[in-house]
Amino acid sequence: MIDARDIRKEYGGFVAVQGSSFSVDRGEVFGIIGPNGAGKTTTLKMLAGLLEPTSGSAEIAGLDTETAEMRQQLGFLPEESPLYEEMTPISYLKFFADLYDVDPDVAEERMHDTLDKLELEHRDRKLGDMSKGMKRKVAIARSLINDPDVLIYDEPASGLDPLTTNYVIEFTEQLAKEGKTIVFSAHNLFHVESICDRVVIMNEGEIVARGDLEELQAEYGHTRYHVYTTVDVPDAVQENGSYKRVVESMDAVEETRERAEANGGDVVDIRTEESSLEEVFLNVAEAGTRGTRYVEEDTE
Amino acid sequence: MQLDTLLRVAKWEMTKNAGGVDKRTIVVMALSLVAMGAVAAIAVSGGAGAGMDDGIYRIGVDESSPYYGVAADDSTFDIREPDPAAIERRQQELLYRGTQLQSVPRTAKERAALTELRDSTAQYNDRTLARDDNQTAAFPVSVTLVYEQQSGSSQLDPRSGDGSDGSGPSAGGSDASDGSGSSTGGSGDGSDTGGTGGSAASGGGDGGTAGGSGANLGAIGARLTGDVQGGTPSDISPPFPFESLVLAFLYIVPMNFVIQAYGSSMLSERLNRRGELLLVTPVSRGDIIGGKTLPYLAGAVGVAALITAALRFGNIAPAGSYVAVLAVVPLVVLFLSATFCGAMFARSFKELTFVTVTITVTLTSYAFVPAIFTDVTPIALISPLTLVVLDLTGQSVGLSSFVFSTVPPLLTGLVLFGLGAGLYREEDMFTQRPIPLKVLDALAGGINSRRSALKMSIVLLPLVIVAELAAIAFLFVLDSVSLNVFGTNQSLGIVLVLGVIVVIEELAKSLHVYAGYEHARYERTLRSALGVGALSGLGFFIGEKGLLIARLSDLESLPIGEAALQGATLPAGLPLWVAGLLFMLPLALHTVTAAISSVGASRGRRAYVAALTVAIVIHFAYNFTVVSTLV
Repeated sequence: MIDARDIRKEYGGFVAVQGSSFSVDRGEVFGIIGPNGAGKTTTLKMLAGLLEPTSGSAEIAGLDTETAEMRQQLGFLPEESPLYEEMTPISYLKFFADLYDVDPDVAEERMHDTLDKLELEHRDRKLGDMSKGMKRKVAIARSLINDPDVLIYDEPASGLDPLTTNYVIEFTEQLAKEGKTIVFSAHNLFHVESICDRVVIMNEGEIVARGDLEELQAEYGHTRYHVYTTVDVPDAVQENGSYKRVVESMDAVEETRERAEANGGDVVDIRTEESSLEEVFLNVAEAGTRGTRYVEEDTE
Repeated sequence: MQLDTLLRVAKWEMTKNAGGVDKRTIVVMALSLVAMGAVAAIAVSGGAGAGMDDGIYRIGVDESSPYYGVAADDSTFDIREPDPAAIERRQQELLYRGTQLQSVPRTAKERAALTELRDSTAQYNDRTLARDDNQTAAFPVSVTLVYEQQSGSSQLDPRSGDGSDGSGPSAGGSDASDGSGSSTGGSGDGSDTGGTGGSAASGGGDGGTAGGSGANLGAIGARLTGDVQGGTPSDISPPFPFESLVLAFLYIVPMNFVIQAYGSSMLSERLNRRGELLLVTPVSRGDIIGGKTLPYLAGAVGVAALITAALRFGNIAPAGSYVAVLAVVPLVVLFLSATFCGAMFARSFKELTFVTVTITVTLTSYAFVPAIFTDVTPIALISPLTLVVLDLTGQSVGLSSFVFSTVPPLLTGLVLFGLGAGLYREEDMFTQRPIPLKVLDALAGGINSRRSALKMSIVLLPLVIVAELAAIAFLFVLDSVSLNVFGTNQSLGIVLVLGVIVVIEELAKSLHVYAGYEHARYERTLRSALGVGALSGLGFFIGEKGLLIARLSDLESLPIGEAALQGATLPAGLPLWVAGLLFMLPLALHTVTAAISSVGASRGRRAYVAALTVAIVIHFAYNFTVVSTLV
């Protein structure tokens, strides 16, 4: 559905994105994570056709990202979505429905349906008088007014309180279940972990890791073993009547068992724990940078 | 650009902004405009205005005196019973018995009262005579023909050759008299070419409005005050074209309101990235810009149409027609496009304020100042407002005059829209860069390859033409001041115009080249710089022929106009080889100077400034030599 081929973006001598390639299948939820300034937003804007890649190309449903046909199929939600504050949610959504050439009756039904799902009240209040969470819901409703196949969301829950954040993430999850192809970035890796099928990790304008969560865990994460014994062993903590020691290899598990038996006890349980995406991300980030982001100018 | 999409954006632009201004503010603004228009209309009338001088002179006169009617018709007089004691007590300024003045004016006020009474008497007599069935007997005309050598700028009629009906009585009385010795024929609008002549009263039917602008403007004033007998010799306009000024003012003021609203709307799209969401819709940039501009364009033109209609159907300027409205369109486009560019360059509303004030002052000067001299010099035709004044005063506007006045500002407006549109994209729209860098960004937006240098020099030509015409308009008054430069006795106006034109042309040829280098569009090599410079010079040489539009006016009849336009046209009567050489020399000049600037631009800002200075000096030396030799 989405195909990015070696897309690169330079601003003057600064390289914001260094030749990224990836593809997203229809109905997939694709996450882009990385620290601030990693190039996530620039990548999303190139996909949305807002920025022209310095080199490389991107297509959505086989259409160049700069074409009107592609934009007709796209719903874009930028990190900040300042609205026309003198308008009401209804007039604002009607305005965009008009720009997308949506039939007025269809637009009317769709906007109320979406606002119902988002539980947005006070639809005749001016947007300038609304809270940030309410404005975000209107912005999300706007991204859906043309019933797009592809959604590109940049930090959809940015700056929202925890309750609204959970609401927005659940709503995004629901959209994914409806079959929308979603590409989104987020700082909160728990959200990415909970709804993304695949993830790329960007750092300094470059994709430094990619795959589904299992693949990332296998490559960058660790498996931890929680070994429960009937007697105390070194580095163990007492928990629910037994002793728990956390180790990171099978050799250490074997060593724990031997120590317990030497103390007259035994191992009663062994549980495994995989690394979270956050740990994977930190491990990748610690792997270091990938060189300069500045283009050397040819000078005489 | 798609019309339906454009109209959709336009509709929402109106809806969106309608909520931004409360109704009370709209009412206050509307009332302010109406009040301003009323004041202007009263000012055009040249009458007593708001009536502040009503009854300031006390005159003692009874009904048996013929002066009773005169004083009764003039609101500045307060009629009292004749009383010599009141004169002594300074409670009356004038005292009449029959036709005899019984008092000797001693104070300044009494002398002013007497002067006012004499003026009113002349007008009273004119009105009375105009009602006479035998107009020829009422206004006998004595004509003295004096033949003089024609020279100087102030003696040319901008409408000569346009088929203007204003040339009516061709012998144009330079000394027409109504018997009272109060009037001279010409009113400053070409008395030597026969204009007003002071022949027929405009209310006289067959004379109509053909008497020329002076009489026509007087007629407008008369109609505003209900004095339908205007157009008589005593109504002939004073030398200062006050009425032109007010008429031009009426049209130019609303534009300044419109651009404030337009600039704010455009800038608000840039602040806080509001416009980003429009850019991601299927609507094209052109449709967004066009749609957002359309309501303001329609509004400004609509206001001009309303003003014209009000003047026409209010019988103030019954000659006002669609020509006045059409003439305003390029001016509106120019105002809006400059504001659009300003809104794309400014970083905040504070900065936008400075930008719009600059635009207002500059463009108002460009449009307004020449129009004041509608009846004085062909330079007035530089401004489309001159066409408006001509149309309102019943003078015909020739097609060539219309094209000359309207095409340069219209094209300039379109170029400015193009430059601003180059910045209407995600990468440039939301960046906070100083205005000079934004200007370079806008210029660089149109550069793709070396050939772009040629294209850009041609595209920028309308800006050059308008700037040069404006320079001529503002400096022509110095035409009569001589200056000894390098042993030549050249006019100060010509020297200054040459200097300004050289700077404008060299900037137009090189600034886009510098922008290209700053945005890494060209290779920074000597070969590339020479190539880019040569192409820019060639483009300018081709585009410069656009200055031939000046042929549509009488501009070349003025020494300053001839000097300014010498690059585009050749003096007549030259041998073929000289003409050929003179035709090719500008090409060599533009190529060489543009190449010099280009080499400097390729090496950074300081080198560019230094190289540009050298190019300006060479260009000025060339122009000055040509003008001193041939003009």
